[in-house]
Amino acid sequence: MNQINQMNQINQMMTGNLAAAWGARLADVDYVPAFPITPQTEIVETLSKWCGNGELNARFVTLDSEHSMMTAAGSAAATGARVFTATSSQGLLHAFEVLYTVAGWRVPFVLVNVSRALASPITLEPDHNDVLAARDSGFLQIHAETCQEVVDSILMAYRIAEDPRVCLPAMVNLDGFVLSFTREPVILPNPEQVKLFLPPFRPAHLGFKASAPHALGTAVLGGSTYSYFRHQIHLASMNALHVHEEAAVEFERLFGRRYDVIEGYRIEDAEDVLVMTNAFASKGKVAVDAAREEGRLVGLLRLRMIRPWPADAIRHALQGRRAVAVLDQNLSPGQGGILFQEIAASLYHDALRPRALCSFIGGLGGKNLSEGEFRAIFEQTAEAGVRGKGIGPVLLYTEAEHREMEQLQFLAHELKTGR
Amino acid sequence: MTAIRFHGRGGQGAKTASRIVGTAAFLEGYQAQDSPIYGAERRGAPVSAFTRIAKEPIRERGLIARPDLVVIADASLIPDPAAHVLEGIDERTAVFVNSSISAELFYAQTSLPGRLTTLDLTEIALQHYGKRGAISALLGAVAGRLVGLRQESIREAIARELADLGLATDVIERNQTVAAQCYEALQTVALDTGSRRPAASAQLRAPTYEPPTRGTASITAGPNSAIRSVSGWRTFRPVLRPDLCNGCWLCFASCPEGAITIKPDGKPAIYYPHCKGCLDCVEVCPTDAMTVERETNVV
Repeated sequence: MNQINQMNQINQMMTGNLAAAWGARLADVDYVPAFPITPQTEIVETLSKWCGNGELNARFVTLDSEHSMMTAAGSAAATGARVFTATSSQGLLHAFEVLYTVAGWRVPFVLVNVSRALASPITLEPDHNDVLAARDSGFLQIHAETCQEVVDSILMAYRIAEDPRVCLPAMVNLDGFVLSFTREPVILPNPEQVKLFLPPFRPAHLGFKASAPHALGTAVLGGSTYSYFRHQIHLASMNALHVHEEAAVEFERLFGRRYDVIEGYRIEDAEDVLVMTNAFASKGKVAVDAAREEGRLVGLLRLRMIRPWPADAIRHALQGRRAVAVLDQNLSPGQGGILFQEIAASLYHDALRPRALCSFIGGLGGKNLSEGEFRAIFEQTAEAGVRGKGIGPVLLYTEAEHREMEQLQFLAHELKTGR
Repeated sequence: MTAIRFHGRGGQGAKTASRIVGTAAFLEGYQAQDSPIYGAERRGAPVSAFTRIAKEPIRERGLIARPDLVVIADASLIPDPAAHVLEGIDERTAVFVNSSISAELFYAQTSLPGRLTTLDLTEIALQHYGKRGAISALLGAVAGRLVGLRQESIREAIARELADLGLATDVIERNQTVAAQCYEALQTVALDTGSRRPAASAQLRAPTYEPPTRGTASITAGPNSAIRSVSGWRTFRPVLRPDLCNGCWLCFASCPEGAITIKPDGKPAIYYPHCKGCLDCVEVCPTDAMTVERETNVV
């Protein structure tokens, strides 16, 4: 089964979670602070096993919560250790204040988030309200579509995060269930070549140790010092766009696979473009193929890097289109789709901005995106383009699902009133 | 592309079966993808798993709405609406049911629309293993046979997947032997995996605001547990002997489902439609007042 390809890489079936663990292992991390949460658990279980049996020469520590875990991750990175950690959903939110804190410390490490919709009501299945809640924290964000992209993105994330022009922690996102528990063929990069891609971590501004204590993130009242350092974080994040490109070139040279901050699928001649992220973008590509067979000139733009926001690349990919639909797998109550807002802002000043921008909300709590729903998106987007006026936010919710909900409401009423 | 959907109960091995088929296909040089769907629940709960096999890289993801083959590990799942066993089955779908009933009789009883094959895997497992356990290797062998995978790759895939679960070599070899019998007992079916009629555009309807009495998640608590019987999940049921009960309420406190209530006389009562048969109450009972009875088939 372990087929070896021409670049001396091993091809095998693995889940997104196992691919994430392999990313950490290939990056030869030193320290893994951990706290388990569904659907991330397989990642830390695997790393625990590898640290236990010596396959990975790293210190594995289970902390008492994600809050402590993220503090430990940032602190360990401040000593100059290469750090990996992972969480999901409620766990990410439990660590929330620390995300901002460690980004301010300018400590590079990689955090994998396995997307799971937030309570309440509680669920285990994916959407992106968890990871997008952290978009203002200062962490870089890379969103993966395939299990292959999970392992590759972790390696790229270390290289970008550790670059002196960036020095920020990075988040790599994969969807719970749809990637985390899904096996597909993954080519594991050769460890020797990974060493070429990812030289040892030697941060000039870090190196905290017991004999040489120093403070990170001390109090700065008055605002001007604070403004300066926060703005430095912004500039560092923006630098990551260029550093990503360099990393992508080198990654392709060594491993033969290319990842850019955005990915266009059949968009060259597309009149209308659907914007998506993460694993369901694969389904979007199938839907594009189906629509093209019926003569619709549609394409798909997948956002891979969400922070920093690749505004220029997005503007370039979407200018001149008749209509653009953004399928947000998230919902900001009282506003709508989060990515729709950012796409709209990116296009506002473009003279060739699309005639219509459409906002769709779908896949909340892991709800499937059906062929029929994609069809509806393409039809409504085309109509909006002809009309020259956008729509939304439109929730992808079908008549059949309404009937199930009405049945539930009917039963609830019956129970309450004693039938 | 060939799309296979497995339906089983937690613990039966549907997920591992989907992996066995995925690995076997991968060994034969195909692209493969396998994934399970399950909730936070436990042994006995409905589980689905999906395997896709193709020559080209696979872009479909998640649940399989229109399967080419459906493998049903437990016939009691068919009438359970929560299991969605019948979804997307039409006259061109191949369907396998783990059942002692012949395909003809089964068809007459259930009028499943698909093309049916049956084999009593549970009985075969009982004969060879002597106890009711996971039948993942057999389900994998059956599915692999029906879609035309080679016996050697199934055999190798069983070894890899069961070793991954930490099973001993002799257990794995026994599974391979019995799986080979199941493989040989069936014929490959001609699957019609050609292009299907495109799905119709979804009829979307925007939800409107409802008052909190209807529009908040609090309403799911009652109907979810009140109307949903989990009796079918049990292999064993706890039975209380009131004469031995000391009224300590430990069973009441430990029941994860709230299926045990306390009567006015202070003694517990089990509400069986909500009892999944986990037997936690039996474990905690200090006076052995909670006894165990084997469930007869509830199909």
